[in-house]
Amino acid sequence: MKLIAHSYISSKGAYLNGNRVIACDKMEENFLKYIYTELRSDYPKFYKMDNLSKMAFLADRLLQDFIPENKDQENKLNLIMANASSSVKTDLKFIDSYSNLGNPSPSLFVYTLPNILNGELAIRHKWYGENSFFILEFFDAEFFIDQIQFSFNRGNELCICGWIESPVAGNEECFLFLVSNEGESLSPESIMDILNGYRNE
Amino acid sequence: MNQFYLKYGTIISSLGIGIDEHLSAFNTNISGVQKMDGSGFNKENWFLGKIEGLQGNRFEDLLRKSCKELIKNTTVELLTSDRTLVIVSSTKADIDALPNDMFQSTRDILKTSLAIAHKPIIISNACISGVLAINTAAEYLATNRYDDIIIIGIDVLSDFVVFGFQSLFAMSDERAKPFDAARKGISLGEACGIVILSTKKGPEFSVEYCGGASSNDANHISGPSRTGEGLVRAVERTFERTGLKADTIDFVSAHGTGTLYNDEMESIAFNRLGLNTVPLNSMKAYFGHTLGAAGVIEVMMCMLSIEHSTLFKSLEYTNQGTSSALNVIEKNSQLPINLVLKTASGFGGGNAALILKKAV
Repeated sequence: MKLIAHSYISSKGAYLNGNRVIACDKMEENFLKYIYTELRSDYPKFYKMDNLSKMAFLADRLLQDFIPENKDQENKLNLIMANASSSVKTDLKFIDSYSNLGNPSPSLFVYTLPNILNGELAIRHKWYGENSFFILEFFDAEFFIDQIQFSFNRGNELCICGWIESPVAGNEECFLFLVSNEGESLSPESIMDILNGYRNE
Repeated sequence: MNQFYLKYGTIISSLGIGIDEHLSAFNTNISGVQKMDGSGFNKENWFLGKIEGLQGNRFEDLLRKSCKELIKNTTVELLTSDRTLVIVSSTKADIDALPNDMFQSTRDILKTSLAIAHKPIIISNACISGVLAINTAAEYLATNRYDDIIIIGIDVLSDFVVFGFQSLFAMSDERAKPFDAARKGISLGEACGIVILSTKKGPEFSVEYCGGASSNDANHISGPSRTGEGLVRAVERTFERTGLKADTIDFVSAHGTGTLYNDEMESIAFNRLGLNTVPLNSMKAYFGHTLGAAGVIEVMMCMLSIEHSTLFKSLEYTNQGTSSALNVIEKNSQLPINLVLKTASGFGGGNAALILKKAV
């Protein structure tokens, strides 16, 4: 397996392969909308997404130039995503909709599953490949390396792996990394170092 | 190619506790889905598959009771072994814990009740979680790091899910009628199913796990594809990986939620796959749609079908209700069953499939 590219989104900005491509002002309240605009994106569905899907959309957009043309991305690109707090923020908003605001909101309810972001990416790119979403206590690079190996063993050619977290308290972040089935090995330490680098920016 | 064997752990649903009570209910076509007065947001009387006797926090109580049942059916050595891993499949887990971590009680209960050696892996991938969990288990076994994987599928009823599906106009005001012309929507349920996938066959009953796959519809986050494209690709991938073909399948355990669009999508996909003449059922009218538990408990009923050479009636089905015809099972019948295809489809556009084989 070979690491091809990686991206990161947080309230500090948008990053690609270790470099900051968009800086967010500390006063920028809606950093996701800001990054979306700065990236000159044209995908109105973005506005109806929850923050998990929005972050995945933006981080994925940065990776697009790096998807190898000789790979079958329609069928053999596997999305392997995880986080710690599932869709908790949307869950709480949905509870609020029926507890305090008069009616259960269908547009919130559909985002009360973390794997919805895989669906959003699949729709965006017409990807019919395999998807999975795991709940981990924290980002675990070894876990991802296992999953990537399993995926390539099953015949997939590319994996987009991700840690997309939108907790009740604490920072929102999205780390995506694109891996191809060529190359010998990829160490969990190198992946962890990349994420730590982004977190320490 | 490795051979893995799937064994019963335990099952608790609105139909009862344990494998025998479920076999008995399916043998006599009894449903656990009943009218629940005032269960809706506007006090509608939805039909739900509710487990009697859960105390306090329903999720915690169900998980604890299921662990207790599991202990009766397995050994301390297996549960506590360093070569045993647990994979949990759940969509909303302990939803009442919000705003705190809804998955923490799962980790705590498994540790205290089963004394497992490793932290459990949790899959939360909507309604395909259970099938994905079993497929993932096989991959961990293939690493030779483990001998046994315990797969736990669990979800409980809550206002959250009932009001949510109600807000999407997906609930039926009668018991769900999967694939039937008069179907109106789903009946939700709650359950915990536990299976064990092992490298060794053992003396207890087991079926062979042949392989599986997943896909995405790439179409809509909450509506099924009109063409069944995602489900077709998940099943085709499963055939490719197992080296099996449609004409070898003896029985299809479909997802069959009972909504107009889902069941229509499945009928189109199964026709495209050449599975339209294969006996097929949906089990959703027996215990309701149990979300993260569905794939696991329905696989357990597939195991019972293989063990007892019985095709179980697709409960609440009377008249063809899909544009493409299917061979929906209208009454229980005896037939040797060698290969079973299990499928699931869910929100986020996910589809998953796996194939089980009678072990010889």
